[in-house]
Amino acid sequence: MITLDTNSPSKQAILKMMQRESSGDCEMEGDEINNGNNKENSHLMNGEHINNNDINIQVNNTDLKRVKVYVLEDNEWKDTGTGFCMGKIATETSMAKIATETTETTPTPLNETSANPNVTKLVKPKAFLVVSNEEVPNQVLLESKLEGNVEYQRQEETLIVWKDVEGHDIALSFEESVGCDTICNFIVQVQRNFERNISLVAVRSSDTGVGSVHEIIAGPISLPSIDQKQTTPTLMEALRILNGNTVYDYLKNETVEFVLKNKYIDLLINYFHEAEEKQCLKDLLLLSSIIKTLILYNNRDIIELMVDDAHIMGIIGILEYDTEFPTMKANHRSYLETSGPSFKEVFPTENNDLKEIIKKCFRLQFLKDVVLVRFFDDGNINLVLDIILDFETCIINFLQMDPFLTRIMNLYEPQDKQENNELISILTETELKEKKRDGIKLLHQCVQMSKNLDLSDKTKFYRYLIQKDLFNVLQYAFNIETDSNVRIMATDTIITIIEHDILLIQNIQHEKSSNTDNSDPDHDENDIDNSDTPGKQTEDMKLLSILSTILLTDKSPGLREQVVQALNTLLHPDGCINGNGEGEYDSDGMLSNFNNNSLMDDDYGDEQKWFNSTMDMAREIDMNDLQLKRYFKNFYDQIAPKLFAPLISNISTDVKNIQYDDYLLIHIVKLLSFISTEHNRIMSRKFILENGILNTVSKLVGRDHILQLRLTAVRAIKNIVSLNDKYYYRYMISNNLFDSMFELLKNNINKDNLANSCIQDFFKIISTNCAPIIPSTNENNTTETTQLKSNFLLLSKYLVERFNDLLIQFDDLPFVKALLIQNEIIHDGILDKGEEFDGDETLENIPTEPLTEEDQITEEARDETHDIEMTSVETDSSVNQNGKRVYSEI
Amino acid sequence: MINIEQIIELLKLGKLIPEETVYSICLKAQELFIQEANVSHVDTPVTICGDIHGQLHDLLTLFEKSGGMENTRYIFLGDFVDRGFYSLESFLLLLCFKLRYPDRVTLIRGNHETRQITKVYGFYDEILRKYGNSNVWRYCCEVFDYLSLGAIVDNQIFCVHGGLSPDVSTINEIRAIDRKQEVPHEGAMCDLLWSDPDDVDTWSLSPRGAGFLFGKNEVNKFLHENGFDLIARAHQLVMEGYKEMFDGGLVTVWSAPNYCYRCGNIAAVLRIDDDMSRNYTIFEAVQPQDSVGNAIIPTKKPQMDYFL
Repeated sequence: MITLDTNSPSKQAILKMMQRESSGDCEMEGDEINNGNNKENSHLMNGEHINNNDINIQVNNTDLKRVKVYVLEDNEWKDTGTGFCMGKIATETSMAKIATETTETTPTPLNETSANPNVTKLVKPKAFLVVSNEEVPNQVLLESKLEGNVEYQRQEETLIVWKDVEGHDIALSFEESVGCDTICNFIVQVQRNFERNISLVAVRSSDTGVGSVHEIIAGPISLPSIDQKQTTPTLMEALRILNGNTVYDYLKNETVEFVLKNKYIDLLINYFHEAEEKQCLKDLLLLSSIIKTLILYNNRDIIELMVDDAHIMGIIGILEYDTEFPTMKANHRSYLETSGPSFKEVFPTENNDLKEIIKKCFRLQFLKDVVLVRFFDDGNINLVLDIILDFETCIINFLQMDPFLTRIMNLYEPQDKQENNELISILTETELKEKKRDGIKLLHQCVQMSKNLDLSDKTKFYRYLIQKDLFNVLQYAFNIETDSNVRIMATDTIITIIEHDILLIQNIQHEKSSNTDNSDPDHDENDIDNSDTPGKQTEDMKLLSILSTILLTDKSPGLREQVVQALNTLLHPDGCINGNGEGEYDSDGMLSNFNNNSLMDDDYGDEQKWFNSTMDMAREIDMNDLQLKRYFKNFYDQIAPKLFAPLISNISTDVKNIQYDDYLLIHIVKLLSFISTEHNRIMSRKFILENGILNTVSKLVGRDHILQLRLTAVRAIKNIVSLNDKYYYRYMISNNLFDSMFELLKNNINKDNLANSCIQDFFKIISTNCAPIIPSTNENNTTETTQLKSNFLLLSKYLVERFNDLLIQFDDLPFVKALLIQNEIIHDGILDKGEEFDGDETLENIPTEPLTEEDQITEEARDETHDIEMTSVETDSSVNQNGKRVYSEI
Repeated sequence: MINIEQIIELLKLGKLIPEETVYSICLKAQELFIQEANVSHVDTPVTICGDIHGQLHDLLTLFEKSGGMENTRYIFLGDFVDRGFYSLESFLLLLCFKLRYPDRVTLIRGNHETRQITKVYGFYDEILRKYGNSNVWRYCCEVFDYLSLGAIVDNQIFCVHGGLSPDVSTINEIRAIDRKQEVPHEGAMCDLLWSDPDDVDTWSLSPRGAGFLFGKNEVNKFLHENGFDLIARAHQLVMEGYKEMFDGGLVTVWSAPNYCYRCGNIAAVLRIDDDMSRNYTIFEAVQPQDSVGNAIIPTKKPQMDYFL
């Protein structure tokens, strides 16, 4: 091994001295010198196996580079002049007897005229660094032979320092770093080609500024024995060498090349079988450690080699032995061979390369997750993950080029189309059913696999799947297939796609429907009412419709969970805007307004007006925006009545024929919470209020249901209260929808349980929103903020009045207490003001009868609403003024 | 009906529990937890246990070394899942013990008992590998939402996963949290699960990006205000298994020996007796044995065939 002794004071001194000199007139170029990656010219450097005389000279003389030459004399560096340095190759023909240590291989006679077999005429090249005086070109300042085991050090950018075989310390200070690069490169080439024992080491000051960093650029390297007859000592030595060679990139690269070129892994596997036969545990453990060390080389070729058909069993066999658990052996081989997952083909393909990649991909995952799960950590697993990703990308890309996937998709076509299909028509019914199941598993697996891919690759693949009528597969899974595991896979597949990009599905559906509608001359894409015929289901609602049906009819809890997730994604407006991978939809402009709840003070229910006003903008911005609008309109027209059917209370026929189980209702109430908070307020509120949904939710808080559902319903109410929306407040107060919640509280008041906490949180929401506002220096700000509180103040007053007796009993609850105190304050404040406004008036202004659908849609009702609104605004400001004064007085 | 005893035996062997059974267990557990307080009261004698992190076999050692379910009550301070190879089995075992001995087990939520964290740190992947779909993960996450946020032993010891919150000065304030939700990114509920004690003068930013660092002042104030002697928490790896700080006002208990199968630490549980004395029991990681549960190779084996 090479010793790295460069910190002698003299060399440090010269370094500093020369840096001063050179920094004046030359730019330091950061050019990296060749650090040994140049494979073409490199030879393996193992003195034991490779003949030193096997020479193929590929080293040429270098250009002249301007340098200063220094020699160390009496511990002082002496400047011996400035000149031009050249790396020079001198070949001299000599009669040389073959050295005894090189008898293993016959040297290549370069001179064909050789007559005597024992005495060969060799070209024995020699390399020199020659510096000629710049003033007297014939005068040689330095001629130093590259020989023996001289170590050349490149210090920083422009300095090469060494001690020659005779013990002279020599230093070359280059004018430019490029010059230094050239000479270093020369040294590297000489080392690679014939003077294998010299070495070049780069020395840089470390990043911390303390000490220096050494890196071998070229030099002799030890490598494991490739003797077919391995023994414990050779293996131990191999392990030692392999571990040592991981230190520097140069050694690492050379070792990797050695491993690949010499089929070193085959050699290890061969010996493994032998050692296992002999039951030589020590060797088996050594082999395992060697393989692990090789994995740590983090080289893609080595890792890929290990998982190919020829090596995988050997590798996992070796890895069944583990020094960490020397008394035990794992059973990876038998697992893979017998009990483990097997590779199945729905329709056989001739593409063997692809099969190989799929297998390799699986095996690599097996290595990662099972065989080496204790071994890999965050640091060294990245390469494996990268390779897996590459394989996956390759597989997914292939699937789109091959007719393979078309064949799979044909399975789910209507029967009459299948009759002409050679592959399918020969199948029996049972076989066909089995194929269909396997096909869904295959699709599921592919889509799962695609999850890690680049966004654009995913988009491409999913688009392809949808164009190939993925929906047929879903229809089959949900309408015909009975195995709920298969159905779950089908849902999971669709979830993955919609989570990637919801609009992808819709766009393609849209494209398809436009294509079929082309015959219709009146078809106008911009006419939103075109798709608005009641009762008729539009193409873009197809998926939502399927999912809603599954949710309401399927009893499998797992499927329900998945469907709810899919619905959440499909119905999330942000997802529609941002969730695509192509960036083709601009999230600016009107889309951000779509979910903008500042619109909430628009005329109640005047959705069409809002719609029309935004329509014009839509045309200018993007067709996709329009599609999104149409999409949500269609949802509320076609899907919501079906999806939320369990919550719709129709006042005239208040009899429900279907009993929905509480676990389903939990999902639906959560979805309701979701649409009320995330969707455009006007649309969702209209739907919720006109269908009496909150009345049902309030009933669900009642005692007939499991506590989980009752609390979910309370949370839905809390969410709506948090919206601070006056229409909801008025509706809930006038319908007394908080009664059931107080009933629940009454029953749980002495229990320290989740019901209690859940309702305490309700009081917390109200009391924090009613809390006195610290007077701000900005008068306007305060007014605005206080106005925002008006709904909460109204509710707080209502609750305190309606449930006074109950609340007084609970005043040990901190937020109930706060509520009571706050109302006292407000009440007092109003009393101070006196005649102009009385708190009770507010409540009187609220219709005592529940708002009916008719109320809300007639002009009359709308006027009334306006009246209330006016009053409320007045009320708000009164409270505000009063309240503020009182607060500031306190 | 599910047979809890039988499931416990299967779990101890690291066997896979059918999806439907997991669902039933989770529903039953919800019913129990929903009746529990955000901060429940526990009597002595009780054994307080720190992070488990899916190390099923070390959890079994824990029960063995600390007297077992028949002899003492247990408080688990959260982080049942992630990192280790048996997150599901560990969590289900605790749930089953809860169902079997409702008054003897208190499970507190840790920062890993959330959808977001488990998706990254192993539990989600473990479920996918074991079941081929994520349903069981969803069922468990739903149960996570119902877990308590803390416990109080004999009105003297406050048990919590992470630590204190600037938003919480008295226990009453914790009671008004509607805990049935994904752990938020800020606020009292988040802090209780994420904060760490440190040598700081006042509330400081936590390097974890959630929760706070709190020091002796905050601890003393909290103890004084609530009349407590000790805060018992977990959340941080302690090589010695436990570490008392702030003149014994706070202790970190860590119960996952050789954390991640490579940290080399020992584990501890804290037993509080009727006289409120503190006794630490130390234990080491179980030695892997083949075919006895903690096999060399964990049950991460792929279950599904693969296709073309």
